[in-house]
Amino acid sequence: MRTYILRRLLQIVPTVLMITLVVFLMMQSIPGDPVVALLGDAYTQEDAEKVRQTYGLDKPVIVQYLIWLGKLVQGDWGRSILTGRAVLDDVWVRLPVTLELIIVSMFVALAIALPAAIIGALRQNTWADYTATSAAMIGVSIPEFFIGVLLLLVFSIGMGGLLPSSGWVYLPGTCPLMVCGTSFWGNMQHVLMPAFALGVGRAAILTRLLRASMLEVIRTEYVTTARAKGLGERPVVFKHALKNALIPTVTVMGLQVGFLIGGAIVVETLFAMPGLGTFGIDAIIARDYQQVQGFALITALAFVFINLIVDLTYTFLDPRIRYA
Amino acid sequence: MANGSDSLGVEQRPIRGGSVQESELPVGIALPGRVERSQSPLAIGVRRLAKSTTALVGAGIVVALVMVALFADVIAPHSPVVSDQTRTFATPSWDHPLGTDQLGRDMLSRIIHGSRISLAVGVSSVILALVLGVPLGMVAGYYGGRVDSVIMRLMDLILAFPIYLLAIILMIIFTPTAGLIGTIKVVGAIAIVRIPIYARLVRGSVLSIKEKEYIEACRAVGVRDPLILLRHVLPNCLAPIIVTTTLGIATSIIVEATLSFLGLGTQPPTPSWGWDLKANVSFIQANAWLSLFPGLAIFVTVLGFNLFGDGLRDALDPRLK
Repeated sequence: MRTYILRRLLQIVPTVLMITLVVFLMMQSIPGDPVVALLGDAYTQEDAEKVRQTYGLDKPVIVQYLIWLGKLVQGDWGRSILTGRAVLDDVWVRLPVTLELIIVSMFVALAIALPAAIIGALRQNTWADYTATSAAMIGVSIPEFFIGVLLLLVFSIGMGGLLPSSGWVYLPGTCPLMVCGTSFWGNMQHVLMPAFALGVGRAAILTRLLRASMLEVIRTEYVTTARAKGLGERPVVFKHALKNALIPTVTVMGLQVGFLIGGAIVVETLFAMPGLGTFGIDAIIARDYQQVQGFALITALAFVFINLIVDLTYTFLDPRIRYA
Repeated sequence: MANGSDSLGVEQRPIRGGSVQESELPVGIALPGRVERSQSPLAIGVRRLAKSTTALVGAGIVVALVMVALFADVIAPHSPVVSDQTRTFATPSWDHPLGTDQLGRDMLSRIIHGSRISLAVGVSSVILALVLGVPLGMVAGYYGGRVDSVIMRLMDLILAFPIYLLAIILMIIFTPTAGLIGTIKVVGAIAIVRIPIYARLVRGSVLSIKEKEYIEACRAVGVRDPLILLRHVLPNCLAPIIVTTTLGIATSIIVEATLSFLGLGTQPPTPSWGWDLKANVSFIQANAWLSLFPGLAIFVTVLGFNLFGDGLRDALDPRLK
């Protein structure tokens, strides 16, 4: 098990390097001369030379990349052109909000998908199954931001502000700043609608997949054997069928993480949450490319690490992988 | 089919295509004189498709949308871009069935014209990804070795990013603009993100197909590689490609709407559903219908392609069910 984790950790090194390279190239390809950005339109040739030397812009691109990479590793992610604050500090402040949103939405997705898929599979071709599959079809076809708008209409506007339409209250203990509003209930109220908006689409995909693999598993011989030896329906479904049907689902959940991260950007923008998504989009609009770089890096890195966690979960569900 | 029991009471096996093994033929029985042509999997698929209610409903929605997009100029009651400052935020009426937005532009006309961007981007980005991804996958799978690893590492590089993030990064590099050029940029960004899906899918199919005897036979008689790939390998991995393409259009339409929603898609004044939804969310408190309609339009379009794609998958490749 330990060797497997170690090997898996080593495998992500080239991926992380590739990500940094792409982000570096993105920064290189953004139109506009950095000298003009720093000095304005009126500058002398000597000033320009000086700036190029100070920032290493006169060196070959590959050397520039290595210098840049070295700084990244040391925690120097640059400073915002607008606010002057260190980008990494801002990223740490924003990260807990996005992580909480993604985790809660994953729970929402599972809380909807597990019962829907199990009922759909066990009562195949009944009205319960048709309801679950039709709802799932609708769920995969609605973009997150539209679900968000519908939720806003019902719970914020329709029900007289039952749930807040924007803003954020931190969970106690997660406040990354000196002062911030923390309250468990306040946090729940703020996270509920965004997490639903983000989770419903994933729930739909998981329902379709889990239902299909449950249908396959409950027809296998070991499930028949389990039933034949007199096991009750509950242990047959949960211990024998569900655990095996979950394996492909976990893989797809890993793939869905990419969509969740992207969806989080959109949902945060809609609900004006102070997460990484709004940070990135605001930076893009303001053309604060140091911040954009920090946003792209942290998002891509988070994707790699969440995938790693999903892979390790996989080994828990399917011991064959550990020993392969 | 010329099968069933003959006068000797021995069951004759149907002959399909020519892949039947000699040992499988019943001994001592002459082959029937007239053998009907076996049906191609595609023909069987099309017949199954026609019986699928889901696929037909999906196809109906898609055809209706294509018609709306093609004849937008004729159907739309007003111009989608001309604003009327005297009639901002008009509630739905006979003249403006879906009301007007903050600039007094007719919402129905904007939604009708918005279908063009959604469909054009959805379809052309998938086709572009297909045109680039399928050959890459075929070459990687067929030749293997170093070519394979170079191509697949490149694909892994794209897949190392969450798709929305990569699409956003690409749009930052391309800088979003309005009109046709703006649309082409969005198409390019979404296509690049989708190339690995085709490359991996096709590579997988090719890996199993190239070991088949008919490919070996082609090589033995001296058919050149490009011809083998085009005439013998490609037709045999068409079913999953068609299914992925249809479902991919649905995903691409969502990605386009999302980019527009974030302000990174085709820029105004070009009408786009994602942009309209975003622009109208600010006024949701007083004018809820304004953000409802663009959202519904995206939903119905995506649902159409998803239903059709699901029906296609069941018809063409029952194993994928």
